[in-house]
Amino acid sequence: MKQFLVFIGKIVLVLLLSAFALDFIYTTVFAQSEARNKVENVINSKPQDYDVIILGTSRANNHFVSELFEKEGLKTFNYGMSGAHLFETSLMLKLMIERNWEIKNIIVETDLNLSNEKRDDGTFGRFMPFLHKSETITNHFKKEADFTELYYVPFYRYIQFDEKVGFRAWYKTLLNEPTNTLANNGYYPLGHNPKANMKNNIEKLKPLRNRYFEEIKQICKANHINLIAVTTPMCSNVKGMEYFKKVKALYPEIKEYEHVVDGDEYFSSCGHLNDKGARLYTAKIIEDLFKK
Amino acid sequence: MLFNSIEFLLFLPTVFFLYWFVFKNQLRAQNVLLLVASYIFYGWWDWRFLSLIIASTFLDYFIAIQLGKTDVSKKRKFLLVISLAGNLGMLGFFKYYNFFVSSWIEAWSSVGITMEASTLNIILPVGISFYTFQTLSYTIDVYRKEMQPTKSFIDFAAFVTFFPQLVAGPIERASHLLPQFYKNRTFDYQNAVDGVKLIIWGMFKKVVVADNCAFFVNKIFENPEAYSSGELFVGMVFFAFQIYGDFSGYSDMAIGISKLFGFDLMVNFKFPYFSRDIAEFWRRWHISLSTWFRDYIYIPLGGSKGTQWFQIRNVMIIFLVSGFWHGANWTYVVWGLFHALMFLPLLLFNVNRSHLITKSYGWLDFAKIGVTFLVVCIGWVFFRADSIADAFQYLAHLFELKSLGLSLFYKTNANLMIFALSALAVGILSMQELVWVIKKRDLPKISAFGALLLVLLIFFMGSFKNQMDFIYFQF
Repeated sequence: MKQFLVFIGKIVLVLLLSAFALDFIYTTVFAQSEARNKVENVINSKPQDYDVIILGTSRANNHFVSELFEKEGLKTFNYGMSGAHLFETSLMLKLMIERNWEIKNIIVETDLNLSNEKRDDGTFGRFMPFLHKSETITNHFKKEADFTELYYVPFYRYIQFDEKVGFRAWYKTLLNEPTNTLANNGYYPLGHNPKANMKNNIEKLKPLRNRYFEEIKQICKANHINLIAVTTPMCSNVKGMEYFKKVKALYPEIKEYEHVVDGDEYFSSCGHLNDKGARLYTAKIIEDLFKK
Repeated sequence: MLFNSIEFLLFLPTVFFLYWFVFKNQLRAQNVLLLVASYIFYGWWDWRFLSLIIASTFLDYFIAIQLGKTDVSKKRKFLLVISLAGNLGMLGFFKYYNFFVSSWIEAWSSVGITMEASTLNIILPVGISFYTFQTLSYTIDVYRKEMQPTKSFIDFAAFVTFFPQLVAGPIERASHLLPQFYKNRTFDYQNAVDGVKLIIWGMFKKVVVADNCAFFVNKIFENPEAYSSGELFVGMVFFAFQIYGDFSGYSDMAIGISKLFGFDLMVNFKFPYFSRDIAEFWRRWHISLSTWFRDYIYIPLGGSKGTQWFQIRNVMIIFLVSGFWHGANWTYVVWGLFHALMFLPLLLFNVNRSHLITKSYGWLDFAKIGVTFLVVCIGWVFFRADSIADAFQYLAHLFELKSLGLSLFYKTNANLMIFALSALAVGILSMQELVWVIKKRDLPKISAFGALLLVLLIFFMGSFKNQMDFIYFQF
């Protein structure tokens, strides 16, 4: 038995050494990168000044045209991320504050994402290389069921989220291969999609008094940031639009913009405006909230 | 609990420690520990599943005891029928009820008669087909007086639920595994080391070969029309390696884990893709199931004795039942039928035993291996497709040979990377197995250095996202 335990010990030792080495190599490479996605762009940033920061999901990422804000003399960046939930949105804001960003206005897309308090694995994974680097990230993730494994088991976080921070991402980061995520000041325009499914059913969604939206409100208040919470447009053929009324009832401060763009020609899919629609929508937001 | 999960990484050393350090030389306590551990392992999926396996255990335990007490033929038959009805009834209800109801409705609607019947929201208990066949082997062996019924409920329950092979086999025979619970087990260093190496090899097959191949397989089978003949061919070959890596990987891990506890399980795969004809393939693939069918269905039906028509009937039955065992979908039945049709010419020309596993390979055999592999791959299309129509559509597009382009695999950097990983993994697996086949090994033999290398390959090349379930759990 002793001989066997030594054998197992050797394997475990090789495993542990490899895990520690790989963890170190991966973390070091990701720590150098700041231009491949919005998460690392914020985490590895120096203090910044912005007039407008946009946060939310793809419905923020594809809907707010930063360029139109800039034309009004408002320094703007769109940090909306496809798939992100308010869980990650709140963390992004915390990280900006931790890095001493000076922000005057924050526009948060608050509509369908209010129905969810869970993490989005795709976005969550992008924070993994920085788990030990930032206390803010550590504290934000502490209540996750798999936090202990992710935090203490070397390399486990990279294995678990290999789609986002696995070998492929690591290799591309090492080569410093660029992405278009940060182009157009974070805004990602969508084209017209003639085959798109222009209907949606959101009857089952129920807005929550979302703890992460509450967090965002508190952070903004504490840091004297003007918080602008808005809904964003949906195509006309949506079942369950009463959802937005429930949002309004729950959060009267959220501004209703779900109907401001009408017509399928302005949509890339039912929940996403195309570039033409996004420009209409952004113009309306600027007109209502920054010019009046 | 999945073998490739964190929970199992804690579970296995804990059980191992208790087994060899706390309950060392205490046979009864060790068996109780294995039983409790197996219930925890199985209940981890859903504790409600335990009720079925416990019911099945009680049923066969008591039936066997009763069988041991009587020589009256009618009574013995009656007891056997109760066991068969109970076990196959549970299997039929949980696995096939909805399938039969919907097939019945579809059959009538195809002749213009509309029927209404409701299907039930039934969860399929993990591994039910495996443990049902395992317990049945016990009752049938006792009925045939090939073994004595056990008096120890604990030993029997531990045999039925033995966690390393509970949910995806090998389907052990009572006559092979159950007696191992009666004997004192001593720790054997070489056996345990071999076990660990098998676990590592099985893990490599699962997370490196199968799970990497799965990326393209899922994409291609989801929408075969969108891909070229070349891409469909690669998708088909990758599925062959996905299912092999997945299933045989599990078996290797099961055998390896059993070795850690001093148990010997039967070999379930003998490098099946090096078969020279379909008959040999079935001597190398899922051996525990094919021999189960041979011993408990094929031979009782008359086997290869009798007229040619009689033999054809038996072969058809065995392959169709084997297909149906895999799942409640006509695709599996067609898969079984396809293999039957490939096997029958060998039987009819009396060449079905010309490639026994022990026979050495000549140069010409490698051409035969290629042809057999291609035939097996075509069969896998039926196995993997969602419907028979989908399978035919896949094959039609494949053999259209309109375009042999492989752009899917290098369309994006991510695709190219995964393709390279999958191809490399398949290459490593094939080359290694070729060496073992030529050396006529039954089980992989890995050096200590090889094991360490595999550990690193698992780390570097493994696809761990979402801990993909083993395909065979659903059966």
